[in-house]
Amino acid sequence: MKTLITLNVNGRARDLAVEPNRTLLDVLRQDLELTGTKRGCDLGECGSCTVILNGKPVNSCLVLAVQANGAEILTIEGLAGPSGLHPVQQAFVDKGAIQCGFCTPGMILSATHLLQKNPKPSEEEIRTALSGNLCRCTGYQKIVEAVQSVGERDQG
Amino acid sequence: MLLPKFQYHEPKALDEALTLMGEIGEEASVLAGGTDLLVNMKTGKTAPGHVVSLSRIEELRGVGRQQGTLTLGACVTAGELKEQEQIQAEFNGLCQSAGSLGSPLIRNLATVGGNIVTARPAADLPPSLMAYGASLLLKKKDGERLLPLETFFKGPGQTRIEPEEILCAVILKEPPPYSGGGYVKLGVRRALEISLVNVAAFVALDGPSGPIKEARIVLGAVAPVPLRAPSAEAVLMGEKPGDEVFEKAGEAAAKDSKPIDDFRASAEYRRDMVKVLTRRALKLAYEEAKLREWRRWK
Repeated sequence: MKTLITLNVNGRARDLAVEPNRTLLDVLRQDLELTGTKRGCDLGECGSCTVILNGKPVNSCLVLAVQANGAEILTIEGLAGPSGLHPVQQAFVDKGAIQCGFCTPGMILSATHLLQKNPKPSEEEIRTALSGNLCRCTGYQKIVEAVQSVGERDQG
Repeated sequence: MLLPKFQYHEPKALDEALTLMGEIGEEASVLAGGTDLLVNMKTGKTAPGHVVSLSRIEELRGVGRQQGTLTLGACVTAGELKEQEQIQAEFNGLCQSAGSLGSPLIRNLATVGGNIVTARPAADLPPSLMAYGASLLLKKKDGERLLPLETFFKGPGQTRIEPEEILCAVILKEPPPYSGGGYVKLGVRRALEISLVNVAAFVALDGPSGPIKEARIVLGAVAPVPLRAPSAEAVLMGEKPGDEVFEKAGEAAAKDSKPIDDFRASAEYRRDMVKVLTRRALKLAYEEAKLREWRRWK
């Protein structure tokens, strides 16, 4: 039986009727057509489905859509502002921290969350914060540099 | 991957959840963080007819302190455990184990209750909770009971919880003065990793510089359930803390362990690592004991 839920996605309330056995990831991608959130392993190992749920980054493949009823959700589509890319997105572009791009939305959301809590993180803190996001192109070095560059820019 | 179909229940209060479990407990799975249950449902390992979500029950989410005890609601997440200042100050070994669980993304979902009731032999939180002497508050519709965590596990995935019961809270006694805990995990990588071996230690000293009057060492992933190391604890009792006695305790703990060979590591390697990790966990525990004492006087 379908349940009526409201998801506040990227600042917009979205009313949906969903089956309880559907994950937040599937509802974001299929019902709301927000395909920036990627489906990788679908088992919580890879982090490509990362979204910010009520202020915290989580694997959206491990959350039922019905559990997220009423929640605030930020996906990669909600990050850029009217004046262009978010500073973390711009840093990934500038530093060449994107190869195939599949891990990028998750990486950027985890990094944005880290920088909100800790504007000038150490390399160790960056690597820990991104440790749930796998990059199979193994482009970690440039990703870490991109996140560091945002911290440095804000400082200067 | 598709999740099998199930009937979904989302009680808003604990009473409602307990009544529900009384009616459908045999066919229901309790959903807390979902990092274990949803994975098992996706991979076809389990297909419960009913899923009872605890995520709307506020009374299971709090951390409370009264009369020398700390009560952790079963739905407190590993991420919250790691970040809570009062837990960092008094139960650093628990913070260390919470910070070793999964990844930051998993820690924002996974709960302390879930990490206990799933009863995985290599789980991160049970050894350090056992080292701190934790008890579990289990409730059902017409009653509740308090059970030492140490007696809760029966085997991999097997516990003493009854079908209609819900694990509601984990209760910890505030550690005495001159005491501390430590946790060390060995895996092939640092995140999203199953322990090859993990060790939690707790020591309480009789005064600022010893001797040791209370010691608990718990070994993970080297037996079907988290294992106390009684001969290692006996080695420590009455001794002044230091590298030499920690080394001897490590050797005794290795003899206490009952590891198996599997594709992750050989039993021999695991036994050797119990020795090393026990020594390191004791060192961390001793350092925390000194640090807590220093903070008290500051």
